Amino acid sequence: MIEIPEQRAALDHPLIALPDHDELVEQLFVRDLKVFVGSQLEPTVAKLARHEDAAIPAAVTNNRPSALQERMNEHESFRTWQVMKREAQRHLWATVADSVERQGDELERLAQIEKPLGSVRTNPDFQVPAYILSGDIHLMPGGNAHDDGSLLQGALMDRGGAVYMLGRNGGMLNDLRGQTAIAHALTRFPDFAPQRILDLGCGIGTSTVPAAKAFPEAEVHGVDVGASILRYAHARAEHLGAAIHFSQQSAEKTDFEDGSFDLVYSCVLFHETSQAAVMNIMAECKRLLRPGGLMVHLEVPLLHDNTDTWTELNGALEAQYNNEPNWRGALTADYRGLIEAAGFRDLMVGYQPTSQSARQGPFRFGEESEGVFRSWFIASGVA
Amino acid sequence: MTRTPLPRTPNRLDLIEGSRALDEQLMAMIIALTSEVTVLRARLDAAERLLVAGGALQAGAIDAYVPDDAASKEREALRHATMKKVFRPLREAAEKELEAAQNAKEEETSR
Repeated sequence: MIEIPEQRAALDHPLIALPDHDELVEQLFVRDLKVFVGSQLEPTVAKLARHEDAAIPAAVTNNRPSALQERMNEHESFRTWQVMKREAQRHLWATVADSVERQGDELERLAQIEKPLGSVRTNPDFQVPAYILSGDIHLMPGGNAHDDGSLLQGALMDRGGAVYMLGRNGGMLNDLRGQTAIAHALTRFPDFAPQRILDLGCGIGTSTVPAAKAFPEAEVHGVDVGASILRYAHARAEHLGAAIHFSQQSAEKTDFEDGSFDLVYSCVLFHETSQAAVMNIMAECKRLLRPGGLMVHLEVPLLHDNTDTWTELNGALEAQYNNEPNWRGALTADYRGLIEAAGFRDLMVGYQPTSQSARQGPFRFGEESEGVFRSWFIASGVA
Repeated sequence: MTRTPLPRTPNRLDLIEGSRALDEQLMAMIIALTSEVTVLRARLDAAERLLVAGGALQAGAIDAYVPDDAASKEREALRHATMKKVFRPLREAAEKELEAAQNAKEEETSR
């Protein structure tokens, strides 16, 4: 099992909130609790679900997951597993928030950058999209748009995300999705040299920094909805030596000029939005890209690529109880149709193997998922 | 600087079908307590190791420790107090049921 590093010097960037002795034990406890729920409780619940699924008449083809859920609701252990899973997630945020608050002053001090390479632009009049306000994504209290004038919500998202991912997404950098999206661009165009790049729904910039590192000559931008997370993203990128310009904007409608980007991409953005937003984002990508520019969207594996009812129901429960507003919409969408309708050509829809470092590949792309975290769903097209 | 505390309660916690609110609250408290115990135990472990490293404690001294009579008595009192405190609701509930049953019996006899 991958340990969560605790020495500031040993980390990739010093801004991440560091736990003290007790906080580290508590974070490891949460991590282990999540592993316990996933590896000790869930397999039995899954067996029970498959047993119940086999008893559903074959004639029931319409919404089998819902039929399965009804049967599973009769089992106490099914409910207990759901409660444990959600409470583990809530406990994660609570313990990380305590740790972040304790070192608030230190983090604010570290965020004072004398000669920044990039910038951050917040907008006090920004209208937060309804899908962000309707429920706090991943149960992070306050949600992605929370802003108290500090950067602590960003610090919470960073450390919480690293503990949440259990080290499966590039440890403390949490950047494998960004590396993979850029590796996809390089798979399509090995000599790709974009001058302007935009990351939509950039969060704290985990997926934006890989673009700046892979294309050091490019002007890189990132947009998201929360001022606090963007302030943090800016300081974090500076500590990592990445020149990035962050701004508080909706991916659906930005203030950048028409045809002003060579690469516009997003990483696991769609399932946190809405079906209407996905269409708007595609149209915005078309507007922003110069003719010949590349659009890349990375997502978790699509639902129809899952083979059984239980896996589908499990995903739906995750969406509902971990607040993923557009899980079903994003993971059942007809991406070929959407991208074509938005006016793109040379579509590629399938799976890109997870890249540790975009420039190192792997530079292959296929129709089949290689497994969760081993590959990512990608839909791309040329403007 | 003075800052507002980070929020602790997420917006939107959908009802888990068939689950009682109290069940969820109890589970949340058990998780929090298990977490506390885990932290306490790690802290004690750190204290022991640091004391051994600093020469204030011999390795294995705690495992070999046998409390004398006075210490045993104090420990016993602590154990009883803890049990009384933690399991108070169960004792109260049992007493209440007994009382209800006795009252019902008395009413029956007096009829």
